[in-house]
Amino acid sequence: MMLMMIDLLEIILPVCYFIATWTYSKSFFKNSKLAESLKVRFLMTTLIIHGVYIVLRTLRFNHPPITTVFEIFSLIAFTVTLAYAYIEIQTKNRSTGYFILIFPFFFQLISSLFIKELTEIPQVLRSNLLGIHVGSALIGYAAITISAVYGFLYLMLYHDIKSSHFTVIYKRLPNLEMLERMSFTATVLGFIFLTISISIGYAWLPRAIEKFSYADPKLLSTIIVWLIYAAGLTAKKIVGWQGRRIMVLSLIGFIITIFSMTIINFFFSSFHKFI
Amino acid sequence: MNIFCLGINHRTAPVEIREKLWFSRDEIVSALETLQQNNLKELVLVSTCNRTELYYSFRNELLNNEPLWKILSIQKKADGLSAENFYSLSSLNAVKHIFGVASGIDSMVLGDVQILNQMKEAFTVAQERRTTGLLINRLFNTAFHVGKRARTETEIGEGAVSVSYAAAELASKIFEDLTKRSALLIGAGETGELTAKHLTSRDLGNLIIANRTRSRAEELAAKLEGKVTDFDKILDELHHVDIVISSVESPSHIITEKDLRNAMKQRGNKPLFIIDIGVPRNIEHSANRIENIFLYDIDDLNQIIDANLSHRKAEVPKIQQIILDELSQFKLWYDALEVTPTIQQLRDQFENIRTEEVKKHIHHFPAEKREEIEILTKRIVNKILHTPMVNLKNGSEELSTHETQTKVHILRHLFGLEKKGS
Repeated sequence: MMLMMIDLLEIILPVCYFIATWTYSKSFFKNSKLAESLKVRFLMTTLIIHGVYIVLRTLRFNHPPITTVFEIFSLIAFTVTLAYAYIEIQTKNRSTGYFILIFPFFFQLISSLFIKELTEIPQVLRSNLLGIHVGSALIGYAAITISAVYGFLYLMLYHDIKSSHFTVIYKRLPNLEMLERMSFTATVLGFIFLTISISIGYAWLPRAIEKFSYADPKLLSTIIVWLIYAAGLTAKKIVGWQGRRIMVLSLIGFIITIFSMTIINFFFSSFHKFI
Repeated sequence: MNIFCLGINHRTAPVEIREKLWFSRDEIVSALETLQQNNLKELVLVSTCNRTELYYSFRNELLNNEPLWKILSIQKKADGLSAENFYSLSSLNAVKHIFGVASGIDSMVLGDVQILNQMKEAFTVAQERRTTGLLINRLFNTAFHVGKRARTETEIGEGAVSVSYAAAELASKIFEDLTKRSALLIGAGETGELTAKHLTSRDLGNLIIANRTRSRAEELAAKLEGKVTDFDKILDELHHVDIVISSVESPSHIITEKDLRNAMKQRGNKPLFIIDIGVPRNIEHSANRIENIFLYDIDDLNQIIDANLSHRKAEVPKIQQIILDELSQFKLWYDALEVTPTIQQLRDQFENIRTEEVKKHIHHFPAEKREEIEILTKRIVNKILHTPMVNLKNGSEELSTHETQTKVHILRHLFGLEKKGS
């Protein structure tokens, strides 16, 4: 019964993400009033369904959904959407959802298409503490991704205003100051969750994993990412950087994050790989 | 159709004529009273800086009185007006016209949003003075509906179409909350003043005014609740204000790129929005290269306005379609106020109820009784309808058209024939 439910939700979820993304896009590009009035409801419904899916999966398979890359993809979709919903509520601006939700949609679609059950799960992946470590890292990265999207939107709007070239971006996006605030909120959120994840990692992993090494490339690159964001937050709050410069920094931080997540993962050997 | 419109607007008269016929609220009230004594049954007088229009229906269409434009001119004691300054529309043309006005496509500035509010005010005054009735109420309410549809279903009112408004709109694309922002107005010219006004109406936090003649700056500061600074101190102000509006006559730049680079250092690179309306330009344009400086001159703003106006023009066909839709609905409603179709519809409605009920229950009766039941129920329905129908028919011969229409309207409303009629 529970398995059937999980299978069903795997079909429903990409559809939910598609509907939510589509309504946000209709409301942004076509200024549709109907889409405007429905989009938040679709977003929240998708989040609830996805939350139920994650809980069901964890209970049914007796481990947090972090064992395969496709489970992680689904978790990324959920955390990006969750972080976006938080920022939407915080900033009371609902216009930019399309630019964010397009990512969870593709992540969930790929996850639903390829997800399957691992028969043998390493014992370490069954730990709930590891679940929190990975979960907070994912929320952190999701928030950083959102921050970069807002940074990108900021630079597009900045260019539109500077060059008197008024596209739909100019008409529908919120103002520069708000985009900067949204990006900043996302960065702070990302930084907090990355800090939690790194702290748990450093405190607990050495005891849980035999091959643990402080010189591991994955750990080092994560620390570099953390330091860049720490430097960016300092530049903004203490040195007083603002506007375009801080948005460019947010994009650089994101590019290095992607580098750390992909290149290092593929080309360097690390204890931080389980599958 | 007993609906008429007499008007004067920017197409039929220059401003010096139009302003002579501008009615204040009190003047409207007394004009309504005078006009009502001149064979007008229902009337609303709309008066704005660009148009004065009288929408009315006659008490008796056959009476021949003095031309209404003359009565209006006398009422305002305005001379120099002639019949050519006015347009006179009747029936569906008048209805189509008011729909055009309400939607903003008849305005001097295409898509002007003010007009709908001004029409609502004029209508409220007329309602308070009890000069509106069935026809004009329906006419204005439908016009407001057209205006609302035009604004929600099309983009006729979108985008700034004046220099001052375009500047204020740009400011709101850069800054989130103008209450925390301050602006420096250099020069006290008309466009600069209007721009500052638009910004203060959006709750600008602080306004500082600098003018070569200080007394003029003080005068303006009192009007716009701002502060005054000396003209030679404007460079110091650049360190902390967020918006600069400059419109002075000066042969050379009053602020150079170098001044702005220095200011940006002082202000920690905080965004600075500059509107240079001066001709020749007051601010060195190359300063736009500086990061976080958004510099606009009059040509940039005019470019925005032109683009917005052509966008609005492209929306006009959509509005014309809305007007046609509403016009045909209005005509259906008006035609349904005739007595004969209403009687027929009411009969049909009663007959339908009778047939349905008989059909539902006829099987309870023996076959030989069923014909009797048919006849009996028909007779009951006919008797119930007889008196009201006769009164309605006779009434239409004795009462005025207007009174009959009111009766028919109430009847249609009570029996739910309005929806069926349309």
